Formats: sequence, C-alpha cells, structure tokens
Amino acid sequence: MNRALRLFVFLHLIQVTAYSQGFQVNFQGQKQQGMASAGAGLVLDGSAVFQNPGAMPRLTSNEINVALTPVFANILFEENGSDQIGRTDSPTGTPFSMYATYKPKKATKWSVGFGVYTPFGSTVKWEDGWIGRFALTKLQLKAIYMQPTAAYQFNNWLSIGAGIVYASGNVNLQKAIPVEDQTGQEGLAELSGKSSGWGYNIGAHLQPTKSLGIGLTYRSQITMSVADGKADFTVPNSLLDNFPDGSFSSKLPLPQVATIGVAYEFSDRFIALFDANWIGWKAYDTLAFDYELNTSSLTDTKSARNYQNSFSLRGGVQYMLNNQFTIRGGLAFGKTPVQSGYLTPETPDANRLSYTVGASVNLGEHWTVDLSLFYTHLEREDTNLETALSGTFTTNVIAPGLGLVYKFKQK
Amino acid sequence: MKYVNYLSFVAAVILISACKPKATDASMSPGDMNPERFVVVGGANMGGFMDDALFEEGQQTSLGNLLAGQLQKVGLSEFIQPLMVSDIGCNDQGKSKLVLGYKTDCLGVSSLSPIRFASIGDQASFNAVFSPTHHNYGIPGLKTSSLWNAGYASENPYFFRLSSNPLTDRVASKIVATNPTFFAVMLGIDDVLDFAKKGASLGSMTPLNDPNGNGFTENVTQLVDSLTINGAKGVISTVPDVTDLPYFTTIPYNGLTLTAEKAASLNQIYNPIGISFSVGSNPFIIEDPNSGTFGVRKMVEGEYVLLSTPLDSVKCNQMGSVFPFRDEFVLTLNEINQIRTRTAQYNTAIEQLASTYNLALVDTYSFYKKLKSGLMYNGVKLSLTFVSGGTVSLDGLNFTPRGNAVLANEFIKSINKKYQSTIPLLNATSYRGTRFP
Repeated sequence: MNRALRLFVFLHLIQVTAYSQGFQVNFQGQKQQGMASAGAGLVLDGSAVFQNPGAMPRLTSNEINVALTPVFANILFEENGSDQIGRTDSPTGTPFSMYATYKPKKATKWSVGFGVYTPFGSTVKWEDGWIGRFALTKLQLKAIYMQPTAAYQFNNWLSIGAGIVYASGNVNLQKAIPVEDQTGQEGLAELSGKSSGWGYNIGAHLQPTKSLGIGLTYRSQITMSVADGKADFTVPNSLLDNFPDGSFSSKLPLPQVATIGVAYEFSDRFIALFDANWIGWKAYDTLAFDYELNTSSLTDTKSARNYQNSFSLRGGVQYMLNNQFTIRGGLAFGKTPVQSGYLTPETPDANRLSYTVGASVNLGEHWTVDLSLFYTHLEREDTNLETALSGTFTTNVIAPGLGLVYKFKQK
Repeated sequence: MKYVNYLSFVAAVILISACKPKATDASMSPGDMNPERFVVVGGANMGGFMDDALFEEGQQTSLGNLLAGQLQKVGLSEFIQPLMVSDIGCNDQGKSKLVLGYKTDCLGVSSLSPIRFASIGDQASFNAVFSPTHHNYGIPGLKTSSLWNAGYASENPYFFRLSSNPLTDRVASKIVATNPTFFAVMLGIDDVLDFAKKGASLGSMTPLNDPNGNGFTENVTQLVDSLTINGAKGVISTVPDVTDLPYFTTIPYNGLTLTAEKAASLNQIYNPIGISFSVGSNPFIIEDPNSGTFGVRKMVEGEYVLLSTPLDSVKCNQMGSVFPFRDEFVLTLNEINQIRTRTAQYNTAIEQLASTYNLALVDTYSFYKKLKSGLMYNGVKLSLTFVSGGTVSLDGLNFTPRGNAVLANEFIKSINKKYQSTIPLLNATSYRGTRFP
C-alpha cells in the first residue's frame, strides 16, 4: 500500500533536451575575412597555418599574426499565431586567432608554424522569461584549437603541409525546468563541463602558372567529449530528491571540413578568390546526455538533431591601391545543416548570404594592420518536432575584426 | 590612413546599431465577428474555480477571463467578473483552496499532498453579492437542466454571488440580458461530473432529451437560440471525457500491495467466497451488488478508484481489502461506459448545434485526449497527470491557470478559423501549473 502513498507525486517532467554546435565561426584570418573567408588557394599571411598549411612555405617572410573579431549577434523569436516575441541578450563573442610561422632561409624547403584559433563556439543567452525558456535559456560553447604545423615545398608548383590539432573547450547549458516553488520561481538546470579532443589539418597548395593558385585542404572532425560534466539543478525543496546534482557525460562532434580554393591574379594589384567548402555536419545526428544519477524525473536523454552535410561557396576580391593600402570585398553563401523540424534556439540556423569588406594598411617594413567587417542576416520559420516551439527566428550578425601582423625577413 | 580607420569606425557603429532585428507588427483583427460585448457560460474552468475553491488568482486566470483578455486586443470593451477579494479561496463547503504541502498520514509518514491553505475559507468574500452586470457565467456545478430554473441561486451559491434577485433569476436569462455580440459556451461537464465524482452512486446524469423539455439538447438549444437571435456570433465547446481526469485515474485499481503475512490473512477471510490474494500488487476489493451472493469482488483493469477515497483508511484500516470500497469511491466498467456514452451523445448534439447556428466549434473532447497522452508545448510536456502534468489543479478535476491558457488557445484557434480573425494566442508558459513547497 506504499504505492498509494506515493501516488501524488509522479514526476517525469523534465526532458533535458539540448545543446548544439553554436555557430561555426569562420574568423581565422583578417585578410580572408575581408573576402568572405575564402583563401585556400592563395597565401596571404601567417593564417595559412589554418587556411591551408600547404601554402605555408610560400610565405616570403616569417610572421607573428594576431587578430580579434568581436561578434555582435542578435536573435529575435516571433511565435506563430501569437504576439509573443523573445530576444537574445548575448554577450559579445570574441573569436581570436594567433599564428606564428618560421622558415629559416628563403631557399629552405621546410617551414613550421603554430596556430591557436577558435573555429567553433558562441554564447547564446535569451532574455529572462522568454517563451522558449524550457528549451534553452543560455548556451555557452567554447572550443580553442591549438595546431603545431609543418610544411614542405617539393618544387615551384607544389607544397604540402600538415598540423595536429588539440582542441580544448568548455560548455555551459542552461534551461528552465517547468516546476515552480510557492513564489512562482521556476526551476533551472545548468550543465557545465570541460571537453577536449584531437584532430588534424592538412593541405596542399598548387601553383600551375604564375597567376593561378589552387588549394586543397581537409580538417578532420573533432569529437568533443564531456566525461565528467557537472549537472546542477535548482528546484523547489520538495523536489530536491527528484533532481539530484551529479555528473553527466555527453559528446559533440565538431565537423570535418574539406575545401577547394582557387585564386587568380588578374594583375599585380587585382586578385580574385573562390572557395568551396564541404562540411560534414551529418555526424551531428543525436545529442545525448547520460546522467550519473537517474530518477523518475531525471532520465538520460537522446535528442535527434539529424544534421545534414552542407556546403558553402565563398568569393572575394582584393585590390592593392598602392604599397600602403589594400582593399577587399566578398560574398558567401552557406547552406544550413539544420533540417525542417529541428530548428532550435541554440542555433536558429538558415541558409545564409554573408557580406564582407576589408582593408590592410602597411606600416613600414615590419607591421601590417588588417581590418574586416562581416554582416549576415538569417530568417527562418519552423516548428520544432521535439519541443513544439513554433515561430520565426531572425538573426543579425555583425563582426568587425582587427588584426596585427609582425613580419621579419627570412635569411 | 587615418581616413580609412575613421571610415571603418563609422561603418561599424552604424551597422552595430542596426543589428537588432525588428519585430513585425502582429496584425490583430476580429475578422467577421464583433467582440465588443462578450459573455461566457460554463462551469468551473470557465469561471476560474480551481484547487477546490474560488479565489481571485484563479478567477483572473479563468478560461473566460483569458479569452476576454485576448479579445480585448481586437475590440472587446469590458469584461466584468464577480471577483473574490483574496487568494484564500472558498467553496460551497466553506473551505479554503488546496495547496501542495506536507501531510502526515496514519502511519506517521509525511509526504507531499494537497492540503487546505487555511483552516477556513474566505466566506465574507464568497457570500458577497455583486453588481448586476457580469460577463462571466462560469458557474461551478451548473447543469444544463438548471439553465432556465428560476431561483437557481438558492441551490447554487456560485450563482447566488451573481444574482441580484435570487428568488427569480435564471442563469440563461441573465446571460441573454447582457445582449452579447459574441459568446462562448462550454456546458455539459457538470451534467455528468456530479454523477461521476460520487462514484455513480447518487443522482443521475442529465438526459440527452427529455419529454418535459428539460434535457441537455433542449436547454442548450434554447440558450444558443436566444443568444443568436440578434445576430450574435459565438463559439461552443464539446464535452471532455471526465474519466480522463486525475480524480479518476491517479489511484491504480491494483494498488493493494501485500506482504506474505497480509496476503495470508486476507486469504483466510476471502478464500471461502472464491477470492484469493498474492504477495505484491493486488486489485482492491469493492462492493458490487451484481457480483455473486456476497456482492463483493476484485476490481478489474480499467476501473477507477476515486481521489475522494480516504487514503488513511486504506493504509491503516484495511479499506479496499478487509472492508470493500463502497460504491461512492469507485467507478466500475459499466458506470464508466454510461458516462462515456452520455458524453458522446452530448457531443453529437453540440456538433449539430454548431452547424445549425453556424458557430465556431472547439473540440475540447479531443484536446483532453491529446493532453492525456502528453502534449509538448514550448518545451514543456503538459498532461493530465496529477500534480506533475501541469494542467489539472489539486482538486483533480479542474484546470490550473496553465491548463486554462492552453484550452483558451484552442478556443482562439477555432474562432480564428471560423471568423477569419487574427486573435493572438496566449503564452501559456507564463501561467502557473502546480506550485511546490
């Protein structure tokens, strides 16, 4: 008869659903950012460590290259059929990159380099009390890639390079739990953890003619595993046993990217670039959380993400005004990996056009300042199959970037 | 160079300030209906009775008031409710509302249970009579057979609160007298519920038709006819299957859990009449006059033990085992079938009425079924499960504010579809479910 005793509280209400990849961040080189992040076919500066390790030996000077691109992203959600809206109040994202390249002598065939950069990650924070808070209130995902790299030039027209990538990251996911205390305060689930993973970045650069450059690169998938994350639940006192704080494990694939890029020099001053990326998002089919302590209210979850492989096409041009100034422009199209029915407040992704401009200013023999500006606008209506959140997400992203390059001559 | 820096700085500032997406202006229009004077009639959900009492918070989040709030966005002018002045609550027994708290049972075990918020209800506020103009005739316990009864206020204190002439007032006449331009009707629950919640032991359900004209169909038809005679438009709801509600479904029919010792002692009593028990889970024992010489049998799957059952007697005084459950605490398969059949008959009549009088129809029956199996709403899984389902209040029968809000959205969808209006839906997540200590 104890069963009758416990009848009153059958709680199976939480379905901790999701976190996601956040935005893929294509801000790994200021000069490329001015040209819609194209650049696998052309050696521009030390960011070749990321853009195409195979192009590194073509650098004519050694470099230290640092850049920061503050990302201002605002998302609006408008619910279908109602006058309810929700907005994000996200902090400014800060993707950065640092590269160093070294080749002892001009004639040396080897060169080495090191890169630290952030190709994935973002913070999405929705305003308090928004209508989708049971799906997500905040997602912070950070992944820093570190990549020691070596490259070799076979002859005038072929060079290759490879780097090993160690990725280190952390994640913090928060969402409301639909249980209220006597004052109306809703519960909160916070999942946080550190993760790491290994991968590689390889590339080849071809120079069949003086004017034509071709780049081929491949960056492997890196699976970020959270082995001992911390699950922290804030719930009314009477439900503390239902939502025990404890550890959880999860993993998230950061996808493989294959790129082919061409660059053509129309003149000494004018260069046009085109890159095509293939991105292996299909790896992100399920997001699972495995909790150390399970209860009737807190069960392990598996949420379908069903991402599709996708691609992007990037075109850019560069014009050198004089020895001091260079200007750039670019346009990119990216196909979304998110299928209908799977749009989430973590990543309200859509097919996108992005627009970029950029400039470089040479300050004497050693220093260059690079500037870039990125803008994109996304809009997509969907009804999520898991949460039933139904409406239109509109996103504006603007990202001005600043980079500093210090060059010193190879002997 | 300075020039370039300056230019990019200016460009950045302009673009950053333009970065916030603009919300589209929601178009809100009443379409082909006129919401200016809105009146509603129904039972507890319509009037905001929940947690077994009437109190201000519940009334503010009544189905009627939530609908009126959205209609205000397309032209409704005023919607007056007979508000209580506190949240202590009061019901026709003089008791306060239920809240979730800790209760110590006969075994000395303390657990989370619905308990009264106060030792006595707010009777002063409950007994006050309001000014003659009201728009919410959501009256707990209102049967269609009482719609046209003169002096109904003496029978039903929830109507007494609305009645300026208790001896002569009729519910339906008062509604018609508001001369509405738009109305919402959700009747029929109380025609079966009063019978069902007493275990089908007392009284009867309102007949579908009645030779004296006092059946469900005649009374509702007369009401709708009187309301539409001046061209008013409206929305009418089907009747949910009340046996989907946690008042009936929470206690399992086989919740009699026995140790070897207890099973043996029950076997001593019951084996002579052919009933035996085993260790573990067993069906409860009920009185059933149609069952054998002794009128006692085991419950079978699909039968319900009601939430009105005194659980302390079950735990400590062998109710449901040595002493069989009395009829009033149980719905048998036969009784459940009667209730469902009558509900289906009402719903056929309502569908016909909607069609005859060209009203918007809300399929509340199907909506409860969807809720029963679990309905995802903006990341919240809503269901009819007691306490945790979020939609049914602690009396096990009537909706919480969140339940009323999702039901109001069903009304709005039907109205919008029928009248080409664009009344915005409510954000049901901003209304509470059950609160925990």
